[in-house]
Amino acid sequence: MNTLVCLAAILFLLMILIGGKKGARSFIALFLNFGVLFLTILFMLDPSGNPIILTLISCVVISCINLFYINKVNVKTKAAFISTIITVTILILFIVVTTKVTMIQGFGEEESDELSIYTVYIGVDFVKIATSVIIMSAIGAITDIAISISSPMREVFHHHPTITKKELFNYGMAIGRDIFGTSANTLFFAFFGGYLGLLIWFNDLSYSVGEIVNSKVFSAEMVTILCAGIGVALTFPITSWVNTFYLLKMKNDDKDSQTSTED
Amino acid sequence: MKQLFTKKNIIIYSILAVCFIGSLLFVHNNYSFYDRTIVKVVETNLEDITEISDMHQNEDQIYTQSITAEIKNGEEKGQLIQLTNKYSDSAAIDNEYKAGKELFVKLDANPDSNSELTGSIKDIKRDKYLLIITWLFIFTLLIVGKRQGFYALISLVISAIILAIAIEVYVNTANISLLVICGISIILFTIISLLLVNGFNEKSYAAILATLLGTFLSLLITYLVMLFTSEQGLRYEEMQFLTRPPQLIFMAGLLIGALGAVMDVAITISSSLFGLYEKDNNISIKALKKSGLDIGRDIMGTMTNILFFAYISGSIPMMLLYLRNGSNLSFTFSMNLSLELARALSGGIGIVLTIPIGLYTTIYFINKKRSKP
Repeated sequence: MNTLVCLAAILFLLMILIGGKKGARSFIALFLNFGVLFLTILFMLDPSGNPIILTLISCVVISCINLFYINKVNVKTKAAFISTIITVTILILFIVVTTKVTMIQGFGEEESDELSIYTVYIGVDFVKIATSVIIMSAIGAITDIAISISSPMREVFHHHPTITKKELFNYGMAIGRDIFGTSANTLFFAFFGGYLGLLIWFNDLSYSVGEIVNSKVFSAEMVTILCAGIGVALTFPITSWVNTFYLLKMKNDDKDSQTSTED
Repeated sequence: MKQLFTKKNIIIYSILAVCFIGSLLFVHNNYSFYDRTIVKVVETNLEDITEISDMHQNEDQIYTQSITAEIKNGEEKGQLIQLTNKYSDSAAIDNEYKAGKELFVKLDANPDSNSELTGSIKDIKRDKYLLIITWLFIFTLLIVGKRQGFYALISLVISAIILAIAIEVYVNTANISLLVICGISIILFTIISLLLVNGFNEKSYAAILATLLGTFLSLLITYLVMLFTSEQGLRYEEMQFLTRPPQLIFMAGLLIGALGAVMDVAITISSSLFGLYEKDNNISIKALKKSGLDIGRDIMGTMTNILFFAYISGSIPMMLLYLRNGSNLSFTFSMNLSLELARALSGGIGIVLTIPIGLYTTIYFINKKRSKP
């Protein structure tokens, strides 16, 4: 039997066993996300399309799956969704500039063995693809933080409706700071694990520090880790702000509608 | 805001400012530290444009530019050099260079001292850009995260150092198993990260225990599955550059890759259960179990997604190349995604397993605390 199928089956069973219905939904979400990624890649094959706009669209779909499908549509997930999209948009602007100046797109000379049978002149803009890759690497973590901050902020607002704007925002920031370290760790270790082979290889070749730091492959990894980290860090002030704004606006709308019915 | 300018803070800001400015100055003037010749592009001239297409209907344009650059280090410092560079619209393995860009070049042997210096471009000097992004990262973390941001930074740096040492030891020691080294590093990573974030208390101990059990159990399951299915469907070609057995390195990467997510789950469960216990010392085990499972259910979907996207996204460029070169879908996916998918699935197994494990280790520590007078 195929290893991947077997692992997927075990994961599915465990998720149902421990998570029940929500576990099943989480597993299906994983599958749907794979589908979105698959379609994104197919659309990226067309040289006339813009990979960055494509990425933005996929991010919207992926956050819909992660937030609305797993957790249902409610105030919390709506606020988290808005925060995710704002963060991703800001991050894209930053990463577009970064990939342009660092020139980390495409493939390093270390990968050239694998490439020798293919033509690399395929008309697809790899600079833009590099931007997409970084955004897509971080999208899972960004939606995670957005929902982790939105839920408790909504709870606090529910229990203390008189809370001031500033208190609510600070509460969101405090939660963000508490979970930030471990969320960032999740991403960093995932990258470390993925790059382990390359790091060992750099050591085997006894590259000098100067050669490692300036090589395309290593720079690309570093830029991905750092940009993803910046994105995750930006998510929590943005989410706190969006929630403060959204929750207070909802409260004011309620008040307005109440006063209007009284009239 | 009120304590922005205490004496301690001013000292910290000054140290940061000195480091920032010092490192920027260094990296803009470090030419003499490199053995390789560095040049700075002074002028470029577009010489030629060729349109190309191939049998897979790929169309691209190849440009040829001539570059005049100034040598920044070595014996020829200050002299001008002539280079030619070819680049394409897709820029997969090439770049267009503009004035001001710094490059590593290999000088051609130059027997006649009167003729112009020539050479070939080897790489781009990227250190100054990396430095600026690193500082942006540090500042974002400190401004947004304050004290916790600082701890996150410290724990990241320590983890990176441990990893570097582990790789160094592995490469330079004969007959040492990578899995043993990774196992030891993982124990260190876990203890340091969790103690640094949460301090010395039962909460951290429960999380450390759950993390270690969860990670090693998920590795064991993955190993057994690989054994029973004789690794059918796993393609190690993407690691073919390694001169070492790819299976071991893949397993080690799997262990490290899942660790962060498993730690996250473990600490989330243990701190929320301890929070409930501290609010109400007489809370029943049954109630704790129920809350723990609820919390676990809430996070397992998003956590597996973090790993999934972090692993898979990196393969996008290579898959595009395969597909545009006429490879079919199933071949492209199995060549480029099999290892990444295996990593994501095995990490997911680790995440889900850690939920009950974290639940029981936390309850164990709560019971222990309760039985104390």
